[in-house]
Amino acid sequence: MENALRKKAKELLEKGEVKVVIGFGWNRDKTFTTPVFITKPEDAERLVWNPLCVNNLSVYLTRKFKDIQALGRPAIVAKGCDIRNILVLISEGQLKREDVFIIGVTCNGVVYRQELRKGELKPEIMPTKCHNCDVRNPHATDFVVGDKSDFKPPESPTGMVFNKIKEIDSKEATGRWDFWVNEFSRCIKCYACRQVCSLCYCERCITEKNMPQWIETSAHPRGNLSWNLTRAMHLVGRCTFCGECERACPVNIPLNVINQKMITVVKDAFDYKSGYDEKTHPPMIVFSPDDKDDFIK
Amino acid sequence: MPDNFLKRRDIGKLIASVRDAGGRFVAPALAARQAVYKDISSAEELDDDYILPRNSYKELVFPQTEVIADFTIGKDGVGLKGRDVTGRDTVVFGARPCEAASLESLRSVFTWGFIDEFCTKREDRLVVITIACTKADGACFCTTVDLSPKSVTGSDVALSETDAGDYLVHSVSEKGKAFIAKHSDVFKAKPSADAVVKPIIMPERIKGVDLEKIKKFLSDTAHYENPVWPELTRKCIGCGACTYVCPTCHCFDITDEATAYGGKTPFEGERRKNWDACQFDNFTLHASGHNPRDTQFKRWRNRFMCKFNYYPKKFSSKGCVGCGRCIRVCPVRLDITEVMEAISKRP
Repeated sequence: MENALRKKAKELLEKGEVKVVIGFGWNRDKTFTTPVFITKPEDAERLVWNPLCVNNLSVYLTRKFKDIQALGRPAIVAKGCDIRNILVLISEGQLKREDVFIIGVTCNGVVYRQELRKGELKPEIMPTKCHNCDVRNPHATDFVVGDKSDFKPPESPTGMVFNKIKEIDSKEATGRWDFWVNEFSRCIKCYACRQVCSLCYCERCITEKNMPQWIETSAHPRGNLSWNLTRAMHLVGRCTFCGECERACPVNIPLNVINQKMITVVKDAFDYKSGYDEKTHPPMIVFSPDDKDDFIK
Repeated sequence: MPDNFLKRRDIGKLIASVRDAGGRFVAPALAARQAVYKDISSAEELDDDYILPRNSYKELVFPQTEVIADFTIGKDGVGLKGRDVTGRDTVVFGARPCEAASLESLRSVFTWGFIDEFCTKREDRLVVITIACTKADGACFCTTVDLSPKSVTGSDVALSETDAGDYLVHSVSEKGKAFIAKHSDVFKAKPSADAVVKPIIMPERIKGVDLEKIKKFLSDTAHYENPVWPELTRKCIGCGACTYVCPTCHCFDITDEATAYGGKTPFEGERRKNWDACQFDNFTLHASGHNPRDTQFKRWRNRFMCKFNYYPKKFSSKGCVGCGRCIRVCPVRLDITEVMEAISKRP
């Protein structure tokens, strides 16, 4: 599979169809994968593909990365879940479909965090998204690497994140509030969640608007709450549950739980799931007379 | 030769006596499935299995957020009233030797020209008890920056673990000696004859890294615009995780926040000193709109320069202690040692 990937990357660079291939490579000790930017055909050998390839590289297609854009048209190695983010970027006018060459990789799941892998990929070290994945055969690709997967996601979603949502939903409002205040209290305001997110592409985030300072920069409980809730609200109807924010969080805030909850709310209210079709706009930015509006009581 | 002996089962007693005297006992404990430095009240809270806590204990002398003044806005202008800091007796137990070496760097910065009492007064009342490492992971690189699990720089009391889980105690500083004397009931005079010290784990020195070469490369301003910078650091996403877990990173921002809650009026507020990170794109953004570090590789280059050129030169203290936290938390696994190695190889 890696050979097919390298061959395609090499060919694209040789023909000049793309100027850079954004993919995964090894770190020095071959213990972790890390993003690589291949600009010379002979360097295509550095590309790898395995269950440690957790990063959602679509973040590098956003306008936050001007120096990467300056390299020229990119090809990107993307799992189905990563492609969902690319499609949201296209639907939000951040990118044109023809601006990027998508090398889709069929995927049998990745690890939740790379350090958890000891030899093999076991279901218990896979993130919830992989257990319910309906894009193991990547969609909207220009080229596909890997054999077709015949994995069928379960009828009703399963996994840690969904169990946690059930547990939190069963609490009273004060219990839910206490849960989140406690989780957010650990936040150190490093903004790794935002920076790793391809859908947080604003060049100036609301937290950086300091005349006046809308979101307090202090990492005290109030500042942390306002940051985390604001980010969650800005992702409603857009987030694809790729899980990058939670993976990036150095203090283990369960951001997947809040984002998946929002996804469920949007699914129930608008029958919409983001990232499957670049022509449909996310529900929060369009008005439709068919909207149920049943939250207005 | 160790000076004293500390029984594992006596740590509870030590915690109690520190706390009874009004102090804080900070040690690695679990929070959200990982070891972090926490203010603990019993020995049961201690994590026995940690390599290095996720956060740095720099927050004990340089908190992530703190109020330095209160302000009120009145008809006649703004009233500002500074706050004093007295610090609090604090013991950090179970720190690692790499990290202890960082306090010197923090002190150099916070006493450079101006004595920042918010830091110094806290540090004066901090006792650092390190434990030599019997475990390491792939991110540890203290030996590559000329430290080791046996280093005692910055440590007040240095412990080495025995097979039975007890500790041989070496007092390093005057502060450490005084601490041991004060708690002589737990620091026994003599170790048991059969005490065997657990083997110390030495992270392998990364062969390709040459600190002198790095310093030379960085000192040459011709290399400032070297294409090596964007090549090596293109993947950096510009979060502040590395700087916030780093024991030597010390940048902060002053911000005024209204405190229109808790019965206060909208015309009252607090001036806060918050951590800031050179990796953020607005870190050096000027009021004019110009940003001298306008792309990510320039910001990353700055962090590297700060650690291996500016601060070692200015203060002859260590800018990097090789704790490896930045490597562990980086969402894109941008490994600082790989950059060190690549720079060492440059002509």
